[in-house]
Amino acid sequence: MNENTMQATPSADVEVEASASAVSGRPIAIQVNNLDFYYGKTHALHNITLGFPERSVTGMIGPSGCGKSTLLRVLNRMYDLYPGQRATGEVMFSGQNILGSGLDLNALRSRVGMVFQKPTPFPMSIYDNIAFGIRLHERVSRSEMDGRVEDALRRVALWPEVKDRLQASATALSGGQQQRLCIARTIAVRPEVILLDEPTSALDPVSTARIEELLDELKTEFTIAIVTHNMQQAARCADQVAFFYLGELVEVDSTARMFTAPRESRTQDYITGRFG
Amino acid sequence: MGNEPAHTVTRYDQELDRLRGLVARMGGLVERQTARAIAAVVDQDEEAALEPPELDVEVDALEREAESLAIRILALRAPMAVDLRVIIAVLKITGDFERIGDYASSIARRALKVEPLDGALSFGALRNMARLVQENLHSAIEAMVNNDSECAMQVWGSDTAIDELYTAMFRELVTYMMEDPRKIGPCIHLLFVAKNLERIGDHATNIAERVYYAVTGEMLPALRPRGGAAKKSG
Repeated sequence: MNENTMQATPSADVEVEASASAVSGRPIAIQVNNLDFYYGKTHALHNITLGFPERSVTGMIGPSGCGKSTLLRVLNRMYDLYPGQRATGEVMFSGQNILGSGLDLNALRSRVGMVFQKPTPFPMSIYDNIAFGIRLHERVSRSEMDGRVEDALRRVALWPEVKDRLQASATALSGGQQQRLCIARTIAVRPEVILLDEPTSALDPVSTARIEELLDELKTEFTIAIVTHNMQQAARCADQVAFFYLGELVEVDSTARMFTAPRESRTQDYITGRFG
Repeated sequence: MGNEPAHTVTRYDQELDRLRGLVARMGGLVERQTARAIAAVVDQDEEAALEPPELDVEVDALEREAESLAIRILALRAPMAVDLRVIIAVLKITGDFERIGDYASSIARRALKVEPLDGALSFGALRNMARLVQENLHSAIEAMVNNDSECAMQVWGSDTAIDELYTAMFRELVTYMMEDPRKIGPCIHLLFVAKNLERIGDHATNIAERVYYAVTGEMLPALRPRGGAAKKSG
């Protein structure tokens, strides 16, 4: 029982093994090692070591301000957009430390896509919302583009709903449709990893269920990390769950284990609703 | 199952407390049923024999009440971790208690048909077995009320002694029946009483397993220790 126990700061070797074992038999797509993150003088993440297994869903939970969204933003260097924010440690992805300098950020973000809490359709047509991202990274012919757009829309199960109005404005879609469009836009550029920051918190239960169903399908192909405030959502979607508190990774384990018998009392207090 | 800090939602705590209260009351009742049933047999106490079937009505009502409360909490609170484990344990333990109540009633109903046998086997062996079963049942309930996984583990390991006593009694009674066909009637009654006691012991073990899971989050292995390893001394 003890060799797998995840403390916040054991040696890196132990951590890699343990995080890999939460989803058995999967290689690690992204390995975060000894990551510290600062917003100016605020120390937001403390020595995080966590592996994201390939083609599975990692759920990140914790109270507001615990650092889970911060970690998500490190994984595609979103924080670079803001001055005064810096990260130390390493984030290994495809054999490369993505925190290193000289990295092509556009290339990174095409491989590590992100979907936000509020749907963020561009004020253009449904078709162009998808095509925009592809054009940014690749040159494709008109007919190939049509195929790529259709494929992306089909994979998020939006195609039947929009196929007759691809030139209509994306902003006219419902919230749930917009969010699925954003996911389609993300997968259209064929990333390896998809990051989702509370992707359903603004959606109704039916749209939420559709997105969750979609995650189940997408994980056969992509590595997925999802931040959610909804514990039941983490329980439903994730293969492994990481619990953050005050900028520390308290515990990571398989979802079933986390929600039936977590090892740390702080995890238990949080997921059972005993946080004072 | 009650050592954690309070829930942010107070009503949730109240509901869980009520659930624990119901199952603790059930435990008290079935302990009483078992004790009275045993007294009815070994002391030939006619008054004691009436009590277990009477109490059974209350035990069954408590089981239904605990079950519907547990379902309500599952549906409305979506319990997780220790809360989830406690509720699942309670659902199963109430089932064990209900069975124990039935066995005790069945022993009590049979009690006055069992006559003491002449010769070596009076109620001596049965008394020994009954004492162990009562001890185990009591410890299992204590473990439940006190969230004591060690106590639960002990109960779980000590059922073997009861099984061995039952097997010995079985052999002895078969011998009596072969020797003297007139003893077949009382021996069969005695055998059923012993079997029911042995089943009560098994349910005490089940309760211990559920308590252990609720408290620790770990399942005890499917196979209980066999042979002398877990034998109770004295």
